[in-house]
Amino acid sequence: MVDLAQPGVVSPPRWMERLGRIGRNYPPLVLFGMVWLAAMLFIAITCDWISPYAYAQIDLRARLAPPVFLGGSERHLLGTDELGRDVLARLFHSIRMSLMVALIGTAIGATLGTLIGFLAAHFRGLVDDLVMTLIDFQASMPFMIIALAVLAFFGNDLVLFICLMGIFGWERYARIVRGMTLSASQHGYAVAVRQLGAGPFTIYGRHILPNIASTLIVNLTLNFPEHILLETGLSFLGLGVQPPLTSLGNMVGYGRDYLQSAWWIAVFPGLAIVLTTLSMSLVGDWLRDRLDPTLR
Amino acid sequence: MLRFLVAKLTRAFLAILFVVTFAFVVLRLSGDPALMILGPETTPEALAAFRKSWGLDAPVWQQFLGYLGNLTEGRFGQSMRDARPAIDVVMERVPITLWLMLPALALKILLGVPAGVLAALKRNSTLDRAIMTFSVMGYAVPNFVLGIFLILIFAVQLGWLPSSGSATWAHLILPVIVLGTAGAGILARFTRSAMLEVLGQPYVRTAVAKGVPWWRVVNWHALPNAAIPTVTVIGFMMGSLIAGAVVTESVFAWPGLGRALVVAVSNRDLAVVQVILLLVAACMVTSNLIVDMLYGWLDPRTRIPKAGVGGG
Repeated sequence: MVDLAQPGVVSPPRWMERLGRIGRNYPPLVLFGMVWLAAMLFIAITCDWISPYAYAQIDLRARLAPPVFLGGSERHLLGTDELGRDVLARLFHSIRMSLMVALIGTAIGATLGTLIGFLAAHFRGLVDDLVMTLIDFQASMPFMIIALAVLAFFGNDLVLFICLMGIFGWERYARIVRGMTLSASQHGYAVAVRQLGAGPFTIYGRHILPNIASTLIVNLTLNFPEHILLETGLSFLGLGVQPPLTSLGNMVGYGRDYLQSAWWIAVFPGLAIVLTTLSMSLVGDWLRDRLDPTLR
Repeated sequence: MLRFLVAKLTRAFLAILFVVTFAFVVLRLSGDPALMILGPETTPEALAAFRKSWGLDAPVWQQFLGYLGNLTEGRFGQSMRDARPAIDVVMERVPITLWLMLPALALKILLGVPAGVLAALKRNSTLDRAIMTFSVMGYAVPNFVLGIFLILIFAVQLGWLPSSGSATWAHLILPVIVLGTAGAGILARFTRSAMLEVLGQPYVRTAVAKGVPWWRVVNWHALPNAAIPTVTVIGFMMGSLIAGAVVTESVFAWPGLGRALVVAVSNRDLAVVQVILLLVAACMVTSNLIVDMLYGWLDPRTRIPKAGVGGG
């Protein structure tokens, strides 16, 4: 009995216990998602240093070279495209571009939606009606169509494209923030702060926002993969990120023409898109179950 | 009921008006049409004459009214590429897109609804997990990636099916699978959660307790009550029939509306883009209206307060 109480003799080592706890708290798929997303983030940040070549560097003597595991040379691990550009290098830079556009787009959408939601809840009346009409409109139109119309009317450059991505998804934040602010305003804490003479910025920014933040964060994680899908979809159509810049959708788009002779151009970025959106969805669902018990 | 109908119709009208205004404002913002059509080296006199002949020198609100008038009379402008009325360019593509989208919609419903019901009935079983995994994939795998992978396997490697075009039945198979499986995943997820909610209700327990066979419980007691969220999703899918195929049509070089839209956007053929925009908006608004009407039919509870207030 005395032995049992002694650490390290009968009970498993500390690190194993900790590992077991991680296994219980984090399902393997979620863990995989987190690791994958961390890897993507690492690639996006360090791609200038870890990338074997510049992404636009042309090697005409090694055009359409296969990946190394199909008998290609070690100089191009994932093969090359029709201009002899290294697929691995382009993949790294595409991951950076796609993640950046999706991240900035999500951030703009979240900020915009939150602000508009607060405005609607604060002013009520006509402003509220207007906002609700806009929300209904945006929710009922497929955003792909709106995006294509805007790109047709204004032409395309990267800044406009990112702004466009920012408009995508704001309506869900606005709806959540409006609804939760309206109900929070009735709660004791908001009334109390208002009675103490706090201005609207203090009430909304310092008191209500922290209380609804977890729901917003969950929405953020579910919104982010949709941004990636939209960006890659538009880039695939040749209407998103424009060459010489590259994005994952771009690579799949021109890789489509080489499926017969060089499938690796399209398949690797395609896999990267699928694994990234899948990981984000898994992590987001898991996060929702943890942060928001009402949704269970 | 009448008041309900009028309110819905008013909202539908407002939504269309909003899209029309959006198209007008964006068209005007995107640059001076006179400069865009005649080029920057035109003399000021020629520009002024052009503006006068197209009514571009009138105040903006008059231009807007004129624009609305043209739309109600069915004048949508000329396609800049084809030198034909834009409405003709668009309308001849509609059947080609429906030819693709209607089988895809059927596949979504036939695959998605039973899968969702099954997953709910066998909750937390291996089958449930398999269906839900498939459903998450439906969300996460973009149409163009799935399309590319299918082309690679069935067209390039195996050589069973054609990879692009719309000449024969065989051309239909891959795009319909791409569109159908993605939508089925979404539908299965909604159906499952709706069914789970309904299956916990007292009336289902009563039906089971009094010995009603399970297929009758599902078909008579559970499904009609679980139909509302499912019908909403199907309604949304109906509305996006025309718009939903933009990417898939491009992957498989299917010469439908989506392909026409992408080409029009790349060429900045504004008249065609605008017609497609209005067409999509009209579809969405109509299908939303139908879904609202269906609610009243599926769930009599949503009718009662309206009937009481409206007096009929």
